[in-house]
Amino acid sequence: MNHILDIALNDLVQIVRDRKVFLFLLIMPICFTLLFGYAFGGFSSGGDSDPRLPVAVLDEDDGRFSQELFALLKGSEVIRIETDLEKSRFDYEKALSDGDLAGIVTIPAGYSQAMLDGQPIPLDLWADQASTTGTTVQNEVLMAAKRLASAVWTAQITSQAAGKTADFDALVSEALLAWQEPPIRIEATSGVVAEEEPSQSVMSMAHTAPGMILQFAIASLLTAAQVIVSERKSRCLQRLLTTATQRVHILMGHFLSIFAMLFTQFMLLIVFGQFILKVDYLRLPGATLLVAVASVLCIAAMGLLIGVLAKSEEQAVMFSLIPMFVLSGLGGAWVPLEFTGAAFQTIGHASPIAWAMDGFKNIIVRGLGLESIWLPVAALVGYAVVFFGLAAWRFRSE
Amino acid sequence: MQPAIEVQNLHKSFGELKAVDGASFNVPQGEIYSLLGPNGAGKTTTISMLSTLLRPDSGDALVMGHSIRKDPMGVKSVLGVVPQDIALYEDLSARENLTFWGKMYGLRGAALKQRVDEVLEIIGLTDRQKGRVSKFSGGMKRRVNIGVALLHKPKVIYMDEPTVGIDPQSRRSILDSVIALKNAGMTVLYTTHYMEEAQELSDQITIMDHGKLIASGTHDELVKIVGQMDRIRLTINAEGARVVTAWKSTPGVKQVTAEDGTLNLLVDDSNQVLPRLFDAATTSGVRITSVDIQLPNLEAVFLHLTGRALRD
Ligand SMILES: Nc1ncnc2c1ncn2[C@@H]1O[C@H](COP(=O)(O)OP(=O)(O)OP(=O)(O)O)[C@@H](O)[C@H]1O
Ligand SMILES: [Mg+2]
Repeated sequence: MNHILDIALNDLVQIVRDRKVFLFLLIMPICFTLLFGYAFGGFSSGGDSDPRLPVAVLDEDDGRFSQELFALLKGSEVIRIETDLEKSRFDYEKALSDGDLAGIVTIPAGYSQAMLDGQPIPLDLWADQASTTGTTVQNEVLMAAKRLASAVWTAQITSQAAGKTADFDALVSEALLAWQEPPIRIEATSGVVAEEEPSQSVMSMAHTAPGMILQFAIASLLTAAQVIVSERKSRCLQRLLTTATQRVHILMGHFLSIFAMLFTQFMLLIVFGQFILKVDYLRLPGATLLVAVASVLCIAAMGLLIGVLAKSEEQAVMFSLIPMFVLSGLGGAWVPLEFTGAAFQTIGHASPIAWAMDGFKNIIVRGLGLESIWLPVAALVGYAVVFFGLAAWRFRSE
Repeated sequence: MQPAIEVQNLHKSFGELKAVDGASFNVPQGEIYSLLGPNGAGKTTTISMLSTLLRPDSGDALVMGHSIRKDPMGVKSVLGVVPQDIALYEDLSARENLTFWGKMYGLRGAALKQRVDEVLEIIGLTDRQKGRVSKFSGGMKRRVNIGVALLHKPKVIYMDEPTVGIDPQSRRSILDSVIALKNAGMTVLYTTHYMEEAQELSDQITIMDHGKLIASGTHDELVKIVGQMDRIRLTINAEGARVVTAWKSTPGVKQVTAEDGTLNLLVDDSNQVLPRLFDAATTSGVRITSVDIQLPNLEAVFLHLTGRALRD
């Protein structure tokens, strides 16, 4: 047991002495996160992690149904309401022309009353009709308004039939509820938006930050793998095998050192993401930790395999950088898999990085619960077992 | 007392090549035992099998009673190995290397620290202990390489050509430390292709060539194989075929071999034979350009047994 720790420590000392490890471990991931996060951040301001289109809703009616409509829009998967009481109409118009807003919806005064009277007045929408973004916003607002109007209409008919005993408000709510499971579901995916400018709403920090952690975790493997290769080439491995040290302990020691290196990297970059970039890893700290540990297990096992397979230090570098590009690209660390076709998404999930991205984004982008990470975590651990198994199998014949 | 190492008919081939072809010998406890042989003789292959790094094709060996086949961990626990190729972590200092290897040999804490200090003293690197091994000279690396194997005071230590490629001073200090090991009660299996080293250090010597053990015994016993013959090395100024024939039939000449323009002769008594050699040369019209007379030694034994010189 002690030998495992001794070997791990020995590796870590050598890894740290190779200064270039810090480049891959911390400097490059931070630079690239900032570069991609801000350059392609688009609408997202700072740590904003919401991929939906920002739309301002100005409620000049402030009646029962305008609030209902507001609530409907708030629940949209396509648009996100950006309403700041401090701002004037002029501010919003400027934001729209600067491209910081995708649209402005004005609910005119008298909207609720007109709806009750059965003479609904149209909403006032400002958006670029020529762009997909504009039409997407338009469709979404239109759909919400139609739902509301139809709910009110249904409630009116029902209450007339039921007489005075029926509670009109309850009937409206009921009719609206029915909309949540409409007979024909209209899939309003943000894919429509992605066609035009995928980078804008998508390449936000919440995507870039975990993507870069994962990518550079693989890049960091080259130093660790080099340490393993040079141990073999310098004949230290042979010498270790003449001491009473067990083979499996040597392997575990190397694995532990890579694990410790990557875990430190993840924790530092997660702290950086949380507090500097405002990526909300700590929304579910336990889940974030689990996904991080599973990712580190998987990538560390990959590093062990690289170290065991590479015949020279140069090969160790190649064997680390090639998977870095292939697995990161395929796994959606650069461009989110959600914005690719179904076939590519399936292929992409051959890369463990896709599962790690799923895990992180379920927490920080999609706002899902702990249960949403079990599958990604299981997949990552599965990959870890396979990589470790292969490394152990190869190592037996050293 | 059982031998420290009992080697029983070890065989190892690499493809067609028989690297070790039936090696059997016993190394008594507390002795320095040398395997002497030229490059490719099979010394390292033998050592590798005895340290359980290579599995023999057939045969077995017991090291302090532990079988290399059935109880490799037992073998390793009594063993220190100085490999022929330097095996150190280049990015670590001498002290860090010794400390790490000490841990691998099961030393800990204060005992480890003290032993590292002692070993640094033995290998004469106390004042360079903080230097990175990558910055060391070849001789200094060799010394650290040896030091590693001394850390846990093993009962048996293998040293595979520990003096290759270093200056005479470092070499002297290494040879002295080998003798010190013996005096401390360790058993040393030593390989070399320098006959002087084998002669100076060893209680017993085995001569190896092409995977076979061709002779073994103490230095004196081995030298008796060539009797009281002297060895003469000659160079001549011309193609030597005629004079070689003449010399072969000269009284007192036992053996003549030619190698790279040098002629090696084994003769009964150089004082009497040498004038006859010069006469024969003159008759054949050949001029002798250099003469070197050596008294009986392992070199002569090797030459006698294989027809080749030990050194290239
Ligand atoms: N792993 C191997 N694969 C193939 N051939 C090998 C291997 N190891 C050794 N040999 C061959 O076996 C023979 C014996 O080699 P070995 O290293 O045991 O010789 P040695 O006596 O130690 O020589 P040296 O004095 O040069 O170290 C050589 O011909 C060598 O080429
Ligand atoms: Mg050798």
